Amino acid sequence: MPQGDPDLRDAALAAEGDDGAFERLYRRHVNRIHSLARRMAGPDAADELTQDAFVRAWQKMSQFRGEAAFGSWLYRVAISVILGHRRRLAIHRGREAPEESIRGGTPSHETSTQIGIDFEAAMETLPERARHVFVLHDVEGYKHHEIARFMKITTGTSKSQLHRARMLLRTSLA
Amino acid sequence: MNDRTDIWRARLSEYLDGELATPERAALEEHLEECGDCRALLDDLRRVITQASRLVDSPPSEDLWTGIAERIRAEKPAGIDRGASTVTDRHRSREATRKLSFSMPQLAAAAVLLVTVSSGVAWQLAAGFSSRQEEVAGPAPTAVAGELLRVARVANLDYESAIAQLETALDAGRQNLDTATVRKVEERLALIDKAIEEARQALAADPSNAYLNHYLAGTMRRKLDLLRRTAALTET
Repeated sequence: MPQGDPDLRDAALAAEGDDGAFERLYRRHVNRIHSLARRMAGPDAADELTQDAFVRAWQKMSQFRGEAAFGSWLYRVAISVILGHRRRLAIHRGREAPEESIRGGTPSHETSTQIGIDFEAAMETLPERARHVFVLHDVEGYKHHEIARFMKITTGTSKSQLHRARMLLRTSLA
Repeated sequence: MNDRTDIWRARLSEYLDGELATPERAALEEHLEECGDCRALLDDLRRVITQASRLVDSPPSEDLWTGIAERIRAEKPAGIDRGASTVTDRHRSREATRKLSFSMPQLAAAAVLLVTVSSGVAWQLAAGFSSRQEEVAGPAPTAVAGELLRVARVANLDYESAIAQLETALDAGRQNLDTATVRKVEERLALIDKAIEEARQALAADPSNAYLNHYLAGTMRRKLDLLRRTAALTET
């Protein structure tokens, strides 16, 4: 059993069915996963998606081999859960492309020029796809080819959506 | 602003991310020397990137582990013998002894039990649906999936009944809560109600969708859990 890295040790125990070890993993990573869910899907869905992500991780624990850091593996599981959730809801609302699904609408002139506006609140107003790309690239540090794979889009689309998001957000920092 | 400026404005993010080929980068840098608008925009975009990199992760407003623990009880990895009684087993056992009376705390506890049973149904439903999609081609899963969907819908009706009872009880005990708590609870309930409505609208278009039924059950479980914890506060 791995001795040094507490994540590896607890992941090995969790893969054998130890829910106490899995709870320790949850405690160490929940802030990051919940913040990802909140930024990607909004505060109203963040709790449920965080729970879904950890349950999915539990189901897949036997697939974690320790080649990468547990946090990185967990993060990819969470991204899959979050994007899958949004995709399914969008499709079943009859909107194949959730592109212009803007929670809170486009920033108004007054809002976008307020000095000191909360940056995260401004992110919430981005169109959904631009927001996802922005969070994954500029907040989480994924590369365009990785984002393209997650989101089932081309790298060119990922780049253009990132630029779009930055252009929209720059007004919130004015 | 001319056409050349428009072209380069669209490439500034790629420039900042180091994704332009050498000739393009050199050409853009030449343009930047003579274009104040593009230099200003480049500074704005740099600030956005810096701000994004400084975001700090924050915890959820409530502990989500209880809900996760309830769900993974029935989700032990395949082939695992659960062996000795776990903390969650003991917790479930305690919950199961609470269901025989109907005062506020007991009603709240009954909600927990309902959550446990119904979420199990929802996960059975989702698991059964997806595994059969992967493993079986043809009409075989139809009867099983149909039965599970029927059970899930009954579970959702049970949720609605439990939620209605808790809401009524909460109204009666509301004066025991401070204003800030009431406001916070109402805000969270509004968010959850919005998610429930979203799920119901999606289900109206596809009533047999296993994922959506599971999502609705999970969202109702969140509402029940919030109502249960708030109900407990009215008793203190």
